[in-house]
Formats: sequence, structure tokens, C-alpha cells
Amino acid sequence: MLTFAQWVQFTRIATAIRELYLPYPVILSLHLSFIALSAGMILMTNLRLLGVTMRKRPLAEVVNQLRWPKRIGFLAIIICGLLLASSKAEEYYYNVFFWAKMSLLALLAVHGLYFRRDVYNRAAEIDQAGRIPGKAKLAAGLSLALWISVAICGRGIGYIEPPLDKLHAARGADALIAGAQSHAPTLLGLNKGRSE
Amino acid sequence: MILAEANPLNASQLIFPTLEVFHIVGFAICVGTIGLVDLRLLGVGMNRQKVAEVAQDVAPWTLVGLALILLSGPLMFSSDPDMYYLNPAFQVKMVCFAGALLFNYTIRRRVALRGGAGAGAKLVAVISLLLWVSVIFGGIFIAFTM
Repeated sequence: MLTFAQWVQFTRIATAIRELYLPYPVILSLHLSFIALSAGMILMTNLRLLGVTMRKRPLAEVVNQLRWPKRIGFLAIIICGLLLASSKAEEYYYNVFFWAKMSLLALLAVHGLYFRRDVYNRAAEIDQAGRIPGKAKLAAGLSLALWISVAICGRGIGYIEPPLDKLHAARGADALIAGAQSHAPTLLGLNKGRSE
Repeated sequence: MILAEANPLNASQLIFPTLEVFHIVGFAICVGTIGLVDLRLLGVGMNRQKVAEVAQDVAPWTLVGLALILLSGPLMFSSDPDMYYLNPAFQVKMVCFAGALLFNYTIRRRVALRGGAGAGAKLVAVISLLLWVSVIFGGIFIAFTM
């Protein structure tokens, strides 16, 4: 895993994101923009499931119409997230918030699979019954709680800076990294240009 | 600087990150609910509802998000006012934020409540999204322009 992280962060694209000034904050801003857009859809779906809002609109219309836009939003978030994580892969390997966030996202995947059959795929039946079952409300509450926890851990990632130098020394891995770096392609010839 | 040091917010390391979380959740709710209407104007998402219906449904939640932003933001600012005030990204963010809010509660609101359709309404949605995304970019770049 650690070796994989070290390999990932010296790929050309991860190096570019790490070493240039603009890409990291730009991708981070896009990451957050897509999060905001998806958050609106997640929030309204869950609040509708809780029976708090949009009560005049059928549950099925809210759930079904937002399903694909949400998926596209998630995809965009994940692409940005992977780019960000790859640029600091080794640091994140030691970052407790990163792993907490990944675990929460795994839980959200389980959540989606578990509640899909009885809640999200049954929105029309729930409408006909005219009453939102407890399980649907549980799904909504859990989803909101998990997403807020993801946000907390996401922000937490930035507060941890693992002392990589010390860790390398402790592992006796300095030589290994130096080797990896010297094999890493120089970025767009920028580094070379500067040194000449 | 005197202000920053005397500020009780700076007494604990946990306060600022906590405020940040409120700020992030707040803008996700605020921009997300506004975005839902913008996407509807663009023909994405809640298309079987009228634009005005979607706008009315989300409006109170936009205010919830705004309240979170406006409670946490100034407190974060007070933790280091000089740094923020002189930070170009912060200045850009505030201008965009003022513009986005103004646009949201004037032109965009009128278009949405009238059930806007057509190229004009789409343009309004794009401008709204761009303004809010600029605010997010400004916010992120505060930490990258020192």
C-alpha cells in the first residue's frame, strides 16, 4: 500500500499537481463546487424522505429525478478527489482523517446498497402508501449524518502533516525514495529549464 | 494584530476547524440548494416540477445555509483580520459573494418565480452558478495566497 502510494505520487500527473502552483487549489475548488451541487440534491432528497420538505411533491419524483444528476456529481467529485489524493498519496497514507473519510465513504456505499431495495427503489410505493416508513427515515438520517462526517474528515485531512522526513529515516527508506524521484519524469521540462 | 491575539477564538486549536466545518456545511447547503434551481433552469434534475415550485421548496434551506455561513465566516475573519483583509483572494471572494447574493435575491429570484424558460433563463442560471463557484474558488485561494 505504501509502495503503491509512493508510486502514484510520482506519476507525471500527480507530480504536476503537487509541484505547480495552480492545479492543486483549482482542482480543490472544483472538488468543493461539485460537492456543493451534490449536497443540495442529497439534502433535498433526505429531507423529503424525512417528510420535512417538498411534501407536496411525490417522493418518487424527487428521488428519481435527482438520481442521475447526483451520480454525475459524485463522479466529478471522485475524479477531482483522486487527483488531489494522488498528488500527496504518501502523506495521506499516514493521515488518519484520510482513512476515516475513506471508511465513511465505504459505509455510504454500503448504505446505498442496503437501503436501495426497500427505500430508493420503492419511492413510488411509499407515495401510494401515503406514509413514510421508519426505514426510509432511518436511511435519510444516516445519510445526512454520514455526509456531514465526511465533510468533517475532509476538512481534517488538511490539518495533519505527517513528518515524512522522519518517517523515511525511521524506515530506512530514504534511498528508495531518492531512487524513485530520480526516475520520475521531470515535469514538462520545467525543472530542467530552471536549473539551466 | 492586537485584535487577533486578544480574540478568545484563538485560545483553542479546535475552534477554528470547527468553524470551518460549519462554514463548509453551510455553503454546501446554500450553494447546493441554489444550484438545484439553477440546474432546473438549465433543464437538469427536477424537470417535472415548475421552476417556481423548486425555487419555493428550497428557499428556506438556502437561508439555513446562509445563516451558517454568516455566523461562522465573520468569526473566522476575526481570528486574523489583517491577514484576511489584505488577502487578494479574500477580497475577490467578498466581491463575488456580495454579487452572488445580490443577483440571487433580485434578478434570479424574479426569473425563477416567473417560471423562467428559454435562453435568458439559462443565462441567468449560468451566471448564478459562475458567481457561486467564484466564491468557492476565492475561499480556497485564501489559503494559497499569503
